[in-house]
Amino acid sequence: MKFSRRNTAAAIAGAAALALIATGCAGSSDQPAGAGNPVELTVTTFGTFGYEGLYAEYEQANPGVTIKATNIDRGSNARTDAFTKLAAGSGLTDVVAIEEGWLGSIMEVSDQFVDLKDHGAADIQANWVDWKFKQGTDPAGRVIGYGTDIGPQGLCYNGKLFEAAGLPSDRESVAKLFGGQDATWEKYFELGKQYKAATGKAWYDQSGFVWNSMVNQMEEGYYTKDGELNVDGNKEMKGKFEMLAAGTAAGLSANQTQWDWGNGKAFVDGSFATFVCPGWMLGTIKGQLESAGGGAGSGWDFADVFPGGASNWGGAFLSVPKTSEHPAEAAKLAAWLTAPEQQVKQSAAANNFPSTLKAQEKLVQDATPNVLFNNAPTGAILANRAKGVVAQFKGPDDSVIQENVFGPALKSLDAGTADAGKAWSEALRLLNDLVVNN
Amino acid sequence: MTTTLNRSATPGAAKPKPTFKQRLSIFDVKASPYFYVAPFFILFALVGLFPLVYTFFVSLFDWHLLKGQGQFVGLENFAEILQDRFFWNSLFNTVSIFVLSAVPQLALALFLAAVLDQNLRAKTFWRMSILLPYIVTPVAVAMIFTNMFGEQYGLINNILGNFGLDPVMWKNETFPSHVAIATMVNWRWTGYNALILLAAMQAVPRDLYESAALDGAGAVRRFFSITLPSIRPTMVFVVITATIGGLQVFTEPRLFDPATAGGSQRQFQTTVLYLWEMAFQRQNFGKASTIAWLLFLIIVLFGFINYLISRRIATADAGRPSRAARRTIAARKRAERTNR
Amino acid sequence: MSIIDRAKPESARPSTGKTPAGEAAPAKPAIFRKRFFGTGQRPGFLSYGLLLAFLLSSAYPLWWSVVIGSRSNEALGETWPPLLPGGNFWKNVGEVFDTVPFWLALGNSVLISGIITVSVVGFSTLAGYAFAKLRFRGRNGLMLMVVATMAIPTQLGIIPLFMVMRTLGWTGEIGAVVVPSLVTAFGVFFMRQYLVDVIPDELIESARVDGANMISTFWHVAIPAARPAMAILGLFTFMTAWTDFLWPLLVLDAGNPTLQTALSQLQSARYVDYSVVLAGAVLATLPLLVLFVLAGKQLISGIMQGAVKG
Repeated sequence: MKFSRRNTAAAIAGAAALALIATGCAGSSDQPAGAGNPVELTVTTFGTFGYEGLYAEYEQANPGVTIKATNIDRGSNARTDAFTKLAAGSGLTDVVAIEEGWLGSIMEVSDQFVDLKDHGAADIQANWVDWKFKQGTDPAGRVIGYGTDIGPQGLCYNGKLFEAAGLPSDRESVAKLFGGQDATWEKYFELGKQYKAATGKAWYDQSGFVWNSMVNQMEEGYYTKDGELNVDGNKEMKGKFEMLAAGTAAGLSANQTQWDWGNGKAFVDGSFATFVCPGWMLGTIKGQLESAGGGAGSGWDFADVFPGGASNWGGAFLSVPKTSEHPAEAAKLAAWLTAPEQQVKQSAAANNFPSTLKAQEKLVQDATPNVLFNNAPTGAILANRAKGVVAQFKGPDDSVIQENVFGPALKSLDAGTADAGKAWSEALRLLNDLVVNN
Repeated sequence: MTTTLNRSATPGAAKPKPTFKQRLSIFDVKASPYFYVAPFFILFALVGLFPLVYTFFVSLFDWHLLKGQGQFVGLENFAEILQDRFFWNSLFNTVSIFVLSAVPQLALALFLAAVLDQNLRAKTFWRMSILLPYIVTPVAVAMIFTNMFGEQYGLINNILGNFGLDPVMWKNETFPSHVAIATMVNWRWTGYNALILLAAMQAVPRDLYESAALDGAGAVRRFFSITLPSIRPTMVFVVITATIGGLQVFTEPRLFDPATAGGSQRQFQTTVLYLWEMAFQRQNFGKASTIAWLLFLIIVLFGFINYLISRRIATADAGRPSRAARRTIAARKRAERTNR
Repeated sequence: MSIIDRAKPESARPSTGKTPAGEAAPAKPAIFRKRFFGTGQRPGFLSYGLLLAFLLSSAYPLWWSVVIGSRSNEALGETWPPLLPGGNFWKNVGEVFDTVPFWLALGNSVLISGIITVSVVGFSTLAGYAFAKLRFRGRNGLMLMVVATMAIPTQLGIIPLFMVMRTLGWTGEIGAVVVPSLVTAFGVFFMRQYLVDVIPDELIESARVDGANMISTFWHVAIPAARPAMAILGLFTFMTAWTDFLWPLLVLDAGNPTLQTALSQLQSARYVDYSVVLAGAVLATLPLLVLFVLAGKQLISGIMQGAVKG
């Protein structure tokens, strides 16, 4: 083929021009916002963050700032979105929420995020519980995320269903029933079998969340403290897996779809009677109840007890990617959103549990009754549940192992297509395929 | 054309020696075609061919989404993907969904086209009515049908429940999930394909039918011995298009369960969806490129098989419909002669 | 390449005219049979019944999404699905507008599909005309290339294209969606098939004899003749660009989406309320539905002509 160079150049120029027309240009500046210098800040969150009111408040207090927010349904989708944008080199918002489960993989590319110490992180460090602030600091000592919430776990249960099964239904008795400070998983499954025998119904919604709680409770989870994979040959973990599998085999799982629950219907039609609840999950339940037309009368309650003792599942951070055009403004917003005062408001909106000390104290003091949970003082209970929580080391593929390695294995238990041995070896096989040899 | 007519009358155009203008004109004739086809080929080389070749290049490396180009590994990625059970699983799902959509779709489209190929009242209305789903984009189709196929409290399972039937696990079981996704594809494309087949049917000369009818061939007989053979090329076209499209299904399975990349056990993960997972969730560009190339080869292979089959049909039956038609026409003429 | 030659335009059959089936059929007097199965001239109730059934199955999912989209999430749980819309449509639409930048997405989709359509139709007509009517060295070889590349799914090039867009810094901008779709081999093939028959060679020759240069011949002879095919190709290209999902999903972000990616964002951003999701689906379908009602007839004849040609 013979093509003149001029022709080639013209065609390329034509295509480029076309693209440029379509594209427009974007300038970059980072002066403080003001009436004469409007700044638009974009924020991405996931799940239920409860920030809507706070955005409006911040806009009002800072003339010239407008906030455009995007929310993604769940952490794992937010992870894919964040990494696609990271790879694209653009598209990340000015403030990006990071879930604890994939913080490990973000830490591998922590140089793509602004060091918040350049924007006053050291001055407010003392706000947070110690381990939360450390989690947001990369190996080089750069602070890339401000903690929003942590995930201490209590037990959600449906009082009406408990009553119908002849179990005690008030919070104190339920906590005692499970063993109080000494609550164990053995006891949890035993009660489950009792409940199943009395009602014929399931005890928990599906195995996945129970499993996450069990693993997050261990001193070392999917990784050792040194960052080594810690699944194959882990007797303790396998033992827990078998215990859960036995419970599921006994019909204790309702085999619901995670994050769907039949548009929330399963929360109102008595499909299951208990639910493992890290603080942020309370907001999820609220959304599910609303979606299914359920409300305060649906029987859900929150007990100050958790099988196996203190457990922390999840929690999030706000970070500022280096691609942000307004890093200073974005860091300021992130700091404001995660300050104790705002964390208290966030907790009121989304029911999650704050990661700053002052906010936690405030929740204990107020002990505000939560209407949706039979007026349980959820905040104060969570503060109690947070005692003794330790940070578990999260490796780079922690969320992948949770979602894509154990997720399918547990689903096959729920569906009754595999027994404990088969499901465990399938999990190991998936681990090998997706993590070890990826 | 009158405006161009006067051009030759410009002064200085008619001289014995080839003038600049004449040379320009020769150049015009010789070179213009290349200028006309050049934009296409240049752009195509940039956005079609180059990516394909570069995909192969990437597939030869360890290549991470964020960290970029790593070690050269030769064909190791190919070896690993060919032993990857998820790759074969995705291929199985793709082919299964394709068969479940192509076969009923074609049969139904054929049937519909035959119904439409009559002297109907309100032709345009009926034609528009079957085309309605085509304007609903796959994203909207997936969202609508994902809700209808909900396992707990979905429309279809609700209705089944009213008749005392067990709910179907549309998302968790392999075959039902393939049926659900194929339904989305079928819903959107059946009417469209029916119109294409209808167009082909209408191009069949009417006197073929007339003579066959005179010979006492019934409607069904006429359909199978005249209509079908005559529209065979169009059917091949429809099948090829459906194959190329069917092997690349992404939107429907992606949105059927937005929480996973094709089901909790990958029960409806298609190959393009696996490619997406490999590239953007597992962040392995090297292997993702390998999948892209293998899928490309498979599509070419399918295209080639299609081509061979259609060639065979064409040669084996060359002139068959017309020969049959000729025979009937000849028979009819004979009959007319003897009657006279 | 039998594929090129096979599609000779057939003359349309006479649209009316007696089909002799009626005459040939033995004269059975059962009038019911005639009404139900129809006669050779007029199809009966059976045909209309089948078409009506198909119409219902075409329209029902859309209608159902209107019904749910105008109610609330709870309507999904009812064991017998409600058949009539409720009063929440505007409330749900309001939710859609709050969640995604709908108008921006609509504008982007129109712009992207528009630019792609103009580009594909323009370049395809130019190249198709050259292949159909002009003689030049390498013509057959090049045309073979076009046909051979027709089957290459551009989708499979997403990884390098993604890397290119990142390098150019175009990600997040609609240029990144437009550029990879500026030409299609199918378009060239389609225009070549059409133009080979509709423009008599003598017309071009006489224009040349009259001294018209190549480009003005193209402009004044080819374009007017190609217009119907350009419209058809434009329609299809527009639809393809409009429905594209994977590529915009990768290179655009939530702040600057197309209608399709915005719609999917609705589903993943709002796990709570499916009535909002379905209201969004209805809303996104409306623009094309309006177009369809206005230009459905042309769309149909386009598809049918395209079928005979393509």
